[in-house]
Amino acid sequence: MQSFGYRRPGTIDEALALLQEHGDAARVLAGGTDLVIELRNRWRRPKIVIDLKRIEELRPPIREVEGRLVFTALAVMSEIVADERVQLHFPALAEAADVVGSIQIRNRATLAGNICNGSPAADTAPPLLVYGAEVVIAAKNGTRRVAVDDFIIGPGKVDLQPTELVTSIEIPISATPIAAAYTRMTRRRGTDLASITLCCGVDATGTTRLAYGSVGPRALLVIDNSGVLADPAASDEAKAPVLASMFSAASPSPKSMRAGPEYRVAMLPVLGARALRTAIERQTRVP
Amino acid sequence: MKVDNIGAPAQRLGGIDRVTGHQRYVADLPIADTLHAKLVALDCAHARILSIDTSVAEKVPGVVFVMTADDLPTPMPRFGPQYQDRPVIAEGTTNYHGEPVAAVVAETKDAAEEAATLVKVEFEELPAIFTVEAALDPAAELIQDPSIRRPGPFTETNILTEYHFGWGDVDAMDADMVVEHTYAWPMQTHFAIEPHGYIAAPDGDGIIVWSSIQHPYQLQKTVATVLGMPLSKVRVIAPDPGGGFGGKQHPKLEPLVAFMAMRAGRPVRLILSLEEAFQGVRRAGTEVKVRMGLKSDGTLVFQDYVNRFLIGAYGDTGDRISAKASFLSAGPYRTPAVRIVSQAILSHTTPTHPYRGFGIPQVTWARESCLDEAAIALGIDRLEIRLHNLVRYGEEHVPGDTPADGDWAQTVRKAAEEIHWGTPLPPGQGRGIAIGVKSGPTTGLSYATVRFLADASVMVFSGTSDMGQGARTIFAQIAAEELGVSLDRVAVVMGDTAVVPYDQQTSASRSSVLMGNAVLDACRDIQRKIRAMAARLHDVEEAEITVDRGVVHLPDAELPIVDVLKAGLGRMGGEVVGNGEARKEAFPDHPLGGTALFFEFNCTACDVAVDPETGEVTILRHVTVGDVGLALNPVQVTGQDEGAAIMGIGHALMEHLILDDKGRTRNLGAIDYRIPTSLDLPGELHSFSIENADGPGPYGIKGISEGSLLCTAPAVAGAVRDATGAVVRRLPLSPENVWRAMKEKT
Ligand SMILES: Cc1cc2nc3c(=O)[nH]c(=O)nc-3n(C[C@H](O)[C@H](O)[C@H](O)COP(=O)(O)OP(=O)(O)OC[C@H]3O[C@@H](n4cnc5c(N)ncnc54)[C@H](O)[C@@H]3O)c2cc1C
Repeated sequence: MQSFGYRRPGTIDEALALLQEHGDAARVLAGGTDLVIELRNRWRRPKIVIDLKRIEELRPPIREVEGRLVFTALAVMSEIVADERVQLHFPALAEAADVVGSIQIRNRATLAGNICNGSPAADTAPPLLVYGAEVVIAAKNGTRRVAVDDFIIGPGKVDLQPTELVTSIEIPISATPIAAAYTRMTRRRGTDLASITLCCGVDATGTTRLAYGSVGPRALLVIDNSGVLADPAASDEAKAPVLASMFSAASPSPKSMRAGPEYRVAMLPVLGARALRTAIERQTRVP
Repeated sequence: MKVDNIGAPAQRLGGIDRVTGHQRYVADLPIADTLHAKLVALDCAHARILSIDTSVAEKVPGVVFVMTADDLPTPMPRFGPQYQDRPVIAEGTTNYHGEPVAAVVAETKDAAEEAATLVKVEFEELPAIFTVEAALDPAAELIQDPSIRRPGPFTETNILTEYHFGWGDVDAMDADMVVEHTYAWPMQTHFAIEPHGYIAAPDGDGIIVWSSIQHPYQLQKTVATVLGMPLSKVRVIAPDPGGGFGGKQHPKLEPLVAFMAMRAGRPVRLILSLEEAFQGVRRAGTEVKVRMGLKSDGTLVFQDYVNRFLIGAYGDTGDRISAKASFLSAGPYRTPAVRIVSQAILSHTTPTHPYRGFGIPQVTWARESCLDEAAIALGIDRLEIRLHNLVRYGEEHVPGDTPADGDWAQTVRKAAEEIHWGTPLPPGQGRGIAIGVKSGPTTGLSYATVRFLADASVMVFSGTSDMGQGARTIFAQIAAEELGVSLDRVAVVMGDTAVVPYDQQTSASRSSVLMGNAVLDACRDIQRKIRAMAARLHDVEEAEITVDRGVVHLPDAELPIVDVLKAGLGRMGGEVVGNGEARKEAFPDHPLGGTALFFEFNCTACDVAVDPETGEVTILRHVTVGDVGLALNPVQVTGQDEGAAIMGIGHALMEHLILDDKGRTRNLGAIDYRIPTSLDLPGELHSFSIENADGPGPYGIKGISEGSLLCTAPAVAGAVRDATGAVVRRLPLSPENVWRAMKEKT
């Protein structure tokens, strides 16, 4: 590891001032499960690392504010998995958070870091897309909100300036709740990066929201308003062509080490149908 | 006092330290004034080095020097366990991805790492050869210059060695049915949790080398040779390695570190990253073409093999692995005619190193899978065809070699019984069974010294490396048993050539047998001296006294050894020292230079479920049965057996090195090289031992540490086929490969 400066601001303002001062030369550290590897391998060489973990305003990390569930930049996967509000309203997010890395990783890895890192395989991206989450971004001159769908751009790329900080990710607790399920494909059952990530959600209006990742430069959100997919009474045969069309934008890399493109493309509708079935089961159980 | 250590589940010596992180590995040793080294390698498999500019790197604060081929003696010193073909550092060309071209030595690790990125190497990338097919192309570039080859018929080819084994006349045999298929096993890496670590320090007019090595005495010899020192001036200290699996058998970077330390006049330390360890050692990939001829009743009439082992850029042990594994291609089956051609083929890849199983899993994968094909084609039960052809106790399976040294049918029947062979399974599930057999060492030499101290405690000195297999505990149990002391009074000293007597190696599941016998022999030496003491003390003839297992039997009394020791040593104290030796002699006329000291015989059976849509394989129940002779420590036997089974499951289901189209290894490190985690274990894993006390080791033990991974892959593949009808002949049985096979079937 090369040497770098290290700061541990106590407030968001302090952090923003540091970012303002150092710009490109600074890098934010949350759990460090992505960043430390990059530092160690010298893929990233920031002059200064700004550690967010002592910012008191970001605690408690999960809170309910005006009909939204707010995950601050310090909310880690194991807290998300254990949170009863998440389990109640957003079980697919809990499912995704629960498969990130190992227990040790989940105790450190933040939701915000998972999204800011911009990996096409980020497990939490599909559920955040399905639930319509927003990213709250602060800078010296104010705060902006961006839908996760707009925030994610491509591999390693997100809509974030060097002077900006993600303070939270928020999900609306909707009046028409989305019943969703998360699933993924890996090479083994223990700690692994996914060759497919997939989340499917249905709501009472018959809308199906399907998001999938790791089969292209970024996780994609596709919406079906036909009502066929969400219909518990529709046959698998009727659903198959609609489901297949949802994956038309998948473009898995032929260079991936995790699985070949042909296999990944073939597995998308398989996982899609499974997640859809679970989502519909959850929908019918919604009080 | 009678101490019953044999067959007791004694707690692992050093086990608590190992699992709580207190054990000190090479990387943890606090050696004062140490410099840090970092390797420089090119990101290509094969290149011509045009120039190396170290000037910028040398300006990094803390850098002491950068070592390249120019700083080493001419001609470049070369070394290797079988062939002296591996250069201390790349000279002129690099021949595999990761081969070091330079090494930075600096005051800190960070400075060394930073400077390593600043060494400028001008090079021309050359086309690399990394498949069997490309290497055998008559127009292919020669991977090794004939000047570093031993003269022979293959010097002008990429075949390092070719062997022909067999008996009978395959072509003259009359078979009712012939089955022929080719089975591929990918390159894999050892993935010891502790990557290789080395330290070297000048020591007077000699040198000390620390290494996480399995064969300290071989390292001593290598370093002495390249530095031109007598053995007595080279001290090797080998702290217990954190896993080896064969990957730490032979010297690799120690000569380079030794040269750097000599130049620096200070200790130099090189701790590899996991990625560098992957580039340092790997297992041979193989393509095995097998033809089997059978009578319609399932009787084998011939087996015909062409085994191609893709080894690396330097010989290392690739030749020996291909020869020794191929020799047993036909397995434990009575076969009138067998023909085996075995090739070790050079390529621009990481040199092949021994890997638990020593090539046997690769040939077993082919033989057992092909036998399944034959059984299915003939409509014969897969268990029955095996039992039908299996040699009986004492019968030769390879003419002229050691005959079957166990009741192997008993092992197979036990596995069948435990997997409930013959009972129906629900749809989507399948059952498989396979047999593996491996020769133990064909030659061997171990010495041990045991010191019986005045307070009746014991020190055992042994050159074995305890890399997690539990050798310390076994030797302590033997000494405790023979000298009649409790286990906690025994200390086992290992891993220092200045302290322990010579041992040839820690490999081939040999240590409990060979070193065990040496320790036993040393204890017997002590017992003889105790007998003399007893004769003197009690005024009886030595011939009237016997000593065994901790007890001195006098004509009219029995005394604990310990009492005789104390009385015999008297007020002056002192100690009784015993020396022991165990040998397995060579047979120069034998194709392998010696017969098998024992066989590891295993039968593995499993039930799997296969996801019909995704191809994912779940092992529901896994049974492994080994003929162990006697379980000297049943907990350790089970631990080794379960560990090997899980390792074998990794090979079967997920492990493979992935090379890109230029021969570079892509999945270096823990993220993309997958090994099983606790979540990937079978639903049930059962390990059983057959114990007839018929092995050549102490009390009838045999070696056991590889058995349960010899035939895992064909057992699992057989179960997958049973569940789905899909046939996979190229490992791993990844979801994708199984899915493809299911598709091709329909
Ligand atoms: C062994 C292992 C296994 C893993 N397995 C998985 C897996 O299965 N699935 C998966 O999706 N990921 C996995 N990961 C990746 C990683 O754990 C996740 O991406 C994690 O969520 C990142 O969060 P973090 O808090 O550790 O981020 P950090 O490493 O601290 O940061 C990641 C990046 O985001 C930036 N960043 C972080 N927080 C903010 C913020 N608030 N504002 C602006 N920028 C910010 C950082 O500057 C950095 O570039 C694994 C990692 C490891 C080491």
